[in-house]
Amino acid sequence: MQTLTLSVMFWLTVGVLIGMVVGTLPGLTATMGTALLVPFTFALPTEAGIAMLGGLYVCAMFSDAIPAVLVNTPGTPAAMATAFDGHPMVHKGRGQEAIIGACFSSAIGTLFGAAAYLLLAWPLINIALKFGPPEFFWLGIFALTIIGSLAGDSILKGLAGGAIGLLISSIGISHGNEIARFTFGVPELRGGLSLVAGLIGIFAIPQVLSMIADLRRKEFIAEYKPVGGQTMKTIGKVLAHPVHVVRSAVIGAFIGILPGAGSPIAALVSYNEAVRWGKNKENFGKGDLRGVTASEIANNAAAPAAMIPLVTLGVPGSSPAAVIAGALMLRGLNPGPELFQSDGSLVFSFGWSLLFAGIVTFILGTLFAPLLVRIIRIPLRLLAPLIMLLAIIGAYAIRNNIFDVYIMLALGVFVFLIRRLGFHPGPIGLGLILGPIIEPSLVQAMYISDATSVWNVFFTGTINIILITLSVLSIVLVVWSRHRDRMLERRGMGPGVHLKKPDGPE
Amino acid sequence: MMKSATLGRLVLGAFAGTIFTFAAGSAMAEYPDKPITFIVPYSPGGGSDQQARRLQPGLEEALGVEVRIVYKTGGGGAVGFNELWRSKADGYTISNVVVPNVVISAKGKDVGFKPGEFAYIGMTVRSVGALMVPKGSKYGSLSEFVAAAKANPGKLTVAGVGSTGERNFGELAKILGIETTYVPVSGGVGKMMPMLQGKHVDAGMTASNHAVKHKATVDTLVVAGPKPTAALPGVPSEPRWTYTTTWGIMAPPGTPADRVAKLNEALYKATAKPNVVKIVNSLGLTQMRQTPAEAKAYVDAAIKKFAN
Repeated sequence: MQTLTLSVMFWLTVGVLIGMVVGTLPGLTATMGTALLVPFTFALPTEAGIAMLGGLYVCAMFSDAIPAVLVNTPGTPAAMATAFDGHPMVHKGRGQEAIIGACFSSAIGTLFGAAAYLLLAWPLINIALKFGPPEFFWLGIFALTIIGSLAGDSILKGLAGGAIGLLISSIGISHGNEIARFTFGVPELRGGLSLVAGLIGIFAIPQVLSMIADLRRKEFIAEYKPVGGQTMKTIGKVLAHPVHVVRSAVIGAFIGILPGAGSPIAALVSYNEAVRWGKNKENFGKGDLRGVTASEIANNAAAPAAMIPLVTLGVPGSSPAAVIAGALMLRGLNPGPELFQSDGSLVFSFGWSLLFAGIVTFILGTLFAPLLVRIIRIPLRLLAPLIMLLAIIGAYAIRNNIFDVYIMLALGVFVFLIRRLGFHPGPIGLGLILGPIIEPSLVQAMYISDATSVWNVFFTGTINIILITLSVLSIVLVVWSRHRDRMLERRGMGPGVHLKKPDGPE
Repeated sequence: MMKSATLGRLVLGAFAGTIFTFAAGSAMAEYPDKPITFIVPYSPGGGSDQQARRLQPGLEEALGVEVRIVYKTGGGGAVGFNELWRSKADGYTISNVVVPNVVISAKGKDVGFKPGEFAYIGMTVRSVGALMVPKGSKYGSLSEFVAAAKANPGKLTVAGVGSTGERNFGELAKILGIETTYVPVSGGVGKMMPMLQGKHVDAGMTASNHAVKHKATVDTLVVAGPKPTAALPGVPSEPRWTYTTTWGIMAPPGTPADRVAKLNEALYKATAKPNVVKIVNSLGLTQMRQTPAEAKAYVDAAIKKFAN
């Protein structure tokens, strides 16, 4: 603990503040933020430098919830699931509660992830290493079953949306054997579509377009009256579901450890499990605080957990973790098992600073929450062009390429149109995020199958069997519950929850 | 009246002043005067990422502008190389280049770039190939690995980076007279190491500096070249295996020669920094210092070598 000096805490707080801005602006990801900050950290001692980067990372995993909740546009891909319930909460006048809930959940997630890093790094990494290509493939498939809880009025439209997302993600030069696909002679398409630009397109642009369409009827996104004592009340509501909190944290921390999966997958799987195991599941997607907490606890728990493979194996668990690895190597430190022996105190002080970053994020987040929520009181005629501007800048900034802006706008208009047909943007975003996990792992697992057999590689092994069983169960449950609702509806008794369109601006 | 005349003159003065500053600015503006984008065509944690992070502070110091690292991964490096090919040839976008990956990933494929035409700034380090197994593997030595592969043709799995790995491991397999199943990894070594550490493949083939960096979790069976690597004591070498990986920096085709020269000069300074030299040595990498012409000749030689 003595390594957490006042100077370390100061720089960590600076990192948290920068992370607040980075996460809030769609198009600025935690990876970009940390990468831009690295050169400045060289002026600082190692502990302070990496604490600052860690603070930025942790806080960005909270602040990406802010645009997700307020304007239904995730600040980074990790906050996609936060928007599912966070934004409908705004329409119910519960925006402040959603932001505070996200903030408190982020703090819990961070504390849990940091505790896993400090206490359980070695046993956890041994489990994580059991995930090879077939296991990643099934994890991706399992995450896809979340379509069942997102699909809106038709499961077929949900599946179609997921397929569209997966297809879009397969544009460009293929994994493994370098074959260009779906490029239609457009050279820019060889590099594939930028995930961040794609997500901005499918979430932000339809939002802007419906704001414009609603201008005559609506002046603001929603009404908002600041309520006193909201912080304590919200904390109480979050903690009223202890099992849910622990489940989300465990899922987040575990998926965070898997190299290559990261916060977006963690949040999606956690949301899916919250819906599966939660009571009154018909409330999800319509502004249930549990939806926000499931996503935010998990994506934050994944952040410190992504440092576990870095310090145990020398392999970063996420892109921001890789940037931190680079910063360490430039100081002549080799992140990996040797670092534990040579600079063990550094490894632990980093864990403590991540934990502390969670607390600082919480304090700053709750302080700013009432101010942030005022965004929804900006008149739509100002807010719509403002979001449009941020969307364009964000899509451009991700790789300084105007082509990404065109793609973002085209996808946005496309999603705006198909939303009128009852498609939900969620499954499309899901396909975009999961494609880059599912496809390479499928290809690699198929190659490995050549040595033995497809059966042996995909369908044996404890983790494979668990993931397959869970996926099948999810599908059966969704089909069954939809069938039951339809029966009840026909008899005029039931809520018919899945038959209604999802809440949100139409 | 007097007041507005003064104001008018002030405005005019300011206007003239602005024009003058602009004119002077454009005449005096010296390359580089804005941030430079540095493409890393492989996943974080791999050799390209390490080189970019290693050189970034030195390049920034020498050039006086920010150097921004962006990842463009996929297709065994082809996605990032393609991105550079389409970037403006103004010296503000550069990329990490790996030889022979840039040559092999383009061979006979619709990847949209021609490796012979990039503006090469210089190669900085190279490393011989290595065949690695996870710690605690059944195969404690090369002879055990070869014996197992011969007893079970096609049953052992070997991971490598894209088609480059396939080609270069193929060379070794031919020398050893074995038949194995090759598993291509798209994102580079950063994605390959966990597969190896988790024993999802029997062996992995890549540059030996990765074997040095990860020696706590992987063992090396053999390295390429006529003599063993000092950083991997006790590991035999295979003289007939010629695989070498080389890292350097390149710019889009047609980048003006004076800007390439300026970048080359900055690269010289960045690679000479004591902490960079220290890291390079500790990983068992061989430092290289090239002029742009030497770098171009180096790539041309690789194109010739892998022509068929």
